[in-house]
Amino acid sequence: MNMSFKEKSIWISLVSTVLIFGDYFINVLSLSGLPAETAKTTALELSLRALFLIILIEVIFQGMLATSNRKAAKLGADERDKLFEYKGNNFGYTVLVIGVFITLGRIVILELNPELIGQSSVLEIPLLTAHILLFSFIFSEIVRFSTQLYFYRCGH
Amino acid sequence: MVTNLATLPIKNKIRELRFFAEEMTQQELAELVGVTRQTIMAIEKCKYSPTLEVAFKIAEVFGQSIDEVFQYHSA
Repeated sequence: MNMSFKEKSIWISLVSTVLIFGDYFINVLSLSGLPAETAKTTALELSLRALFLIILIEVIFQGMLATSNRKAAKLGADERDKLFEYKGNNFGYTVLVIGVFITLGRIVILELNPELIGQSSVLEIPLLTAHILLFSFIFSEIVRFSTQLYFYRCGH
Repeated sequence: MVTNLATLPIKNKIRELRFFAEEMTQQELAELVGVTRQTIMAIEKCKYSPTLEVAFKIAEVFGQSIDEVFQYHSA
């Protein structure tokens, strides 16, 4: 497969995001049922681990890619890369905005109806509001990367 | 939105011009124009329509006018 430096870089970001945060969200879902304080502490530990891993993986693999493609890394993004980046950002931003409004809606509903707080979630995930926001952000990133790769493969 | 290869209105004869320019490679043309080789390849295959700036640069490399290199075919 004939891929540019930028496309390879996006593949690295997409795969690492899906694997690391996929694992994170599966682990967080399995926390439902645990005592609230234990679940919160474990969720925070998991999020710190995910954050550390994504930084580590990105630095290592993007560094290796740049070292093996010095010329392309120096050239940076050309007009086609920038166009696809712009299109990807548009799609990703839309997803992020939807997630933010869902989170805001949840906050407002719980503020107006405090009696719902105890029974507001069927998932019983610790720090649910923060996780909805985090999921929206990660999903928007996945949509952003996928859109760019779609344009690289299918053309424009 | 994504436009498939059959409906892209801008065609070009870069492949032919490269051949007559002592079989210039896509990489050489890319370096002269300041884009990646994959972008030149996408332009040649009509999978990507370049900006005016890049179109002018490509035409300049071959010493041709822009409409000799690129042709617009309306649907």
